[in-house]
Amino acid sequence: MLNQIPLNIFRLALLLLAQILIFSNLNFSSFVNPYIFPLFILLLPFETPRWVLMLFGMFSGLLLDYFLGSTGMHAAAGLLIGYMRPFLINIITPKGTEFEISPNVYAQGITWFIVYLGITMFIYLTLYFFVEAATFLNFFFMLLKIFLSTVVSVIFMLIFLFLFSSKKKRRFV
Amino acid sequence: MYNLFQFFLRYYLFLLFVSLEIFCFYLIFQNKRYNEVAYMNVANSVSGKVYSTYTGVSDYLYLRRFSDSLVDENAKLRAQLLDSKYISKIDSGILRDSTLKNVQQYSFISARVIHNSVNEAANLIYLDRGRLQGVGKQMGVINANGIVGQVVAVTDNYSAVMSVLSKEFKVSAKFKKNEFFGNLHWDGVNSTTASMEDIPKHVPVKVGDTLVTSGFSQLFPRNIMVGRVKTVKMEPDKNFLEITVDLSTNFGSLSYVYVVNNLKKQEILLLDSLAH
Repeated sequence: MLNQIPLNIFRLALLLLAQILIFSNLNFSSFVNPYIFPLFILLLPFETPRWVLMLFGMFSGLLLDYFLGSTGMHAAAGLLIGYMRPFLINIITPKGTEFEISPNVYAQGITWFIVYLGITMFIYLTLYFFVEAATFLNFFFMLLKIFLSTVVSVIFMLIFLFLFSSKKKRRFV
Repeated sequence: MYNLFQFFLRYYLFLLFVSLEIFCFYLIFQNKRYNEVAYMNVANSVSGKVYSTYTGVSDYLYLRRFSDSLVDENAKLRAQLLDSKYISKIDSGILRDSTLKNVQQYSFISARVIHNSVNEAANLIYLDRGRLQGVGKQMGVINANGIVGQVVAVTDNYSAVMSVLSKEFKVSAKFKKNEFFGNLHWDGVNSTTASMEDIPKHVPVKVGDTLVTSGFSQLFPRNIMVGRVKTVKMEPDKNFLEITVDLSTNFGSLSYVYVVNNLKKQEILLLDSLAH
């Protein structure tokens, strides 16, 4: 349990740098705006209490806001997915599944991860883009933007997961 | 009292969630209203240092492109030198140095872009020049190809620029061929186009017409390139033309820019206050 703390701090730093230096500079098109930073909240250990998830969601969001100049927007979205995460994991995980310490792509499987990341990123980006635009005009443009950004974000997140996840089963550690 | 206590105990997570979310939205709306505060945040030293370190590394990879664009620009400037023009008028009033000072209206501060975005609803650009180098709020920013934006926040060594690709940005532009002017603003979808407002229907506008700055706002000098007309539409129920403009600045690849310092700004503002 103890080595989870340095691991998560390291992951936070890595995701933050990757987000602000690479993914926020990609400039594919105005429809595709990928965010991989929320992976920090999504990969916290399963046992994390809900209020800790919410606080971490908000403060990590504020950290990203500080660098991207969008004060409060990522914090609001991060808080929301921190709050929703336990519900969602309950819903999408089959009964009687044995858990690792934290979500791991080799343990839970890629299908589970695509559903998990897809739903959370859709919620995250919906809140973020609508707050950013501060308007509900241009609804189909926004919908397309949310959809495409979600897909691209999930693809990048999966690449990140396969690059940095440990294959070793750490059950009952 | 006991019931109230029970209620809090039962729903404390939801209540925590709602109160934190209210706090976040308070931050967001606070910043929407007082934009400068938000931009100050970004132009401050910690994130400014991170970005300028990163730019320092990535600049080496693009040195060739930068030097090419600088050489191009030098060639354009050389073409504008008095020496390269034929002056037909026999000029009697030659300007001496002491008077030249009074005649000059604009000076330019070169700056390097350390962070840039084109995908947001309000795009910000950060420059590695700030108050100590003479950059001030409300100064215009241009590059060799056209207009870039307007300075919205300055710290000692960095500044934040609201780019043309922001919904709040408006600039007065005119047609080069007939001097009709209107407001240019970004429509929020595409990073290469903007739309032109307030051009009456009787103005002859063709696809490909050049738009330049009018110099009416104190941001930019006159005749800085803005872009070319991409499409013109005439709606029967509207009084003005619907014009989309291909912006001449490529916002996806900004490297070096110039901050415009309007030396006569104070005087014009004074005139403005006297006239009203």
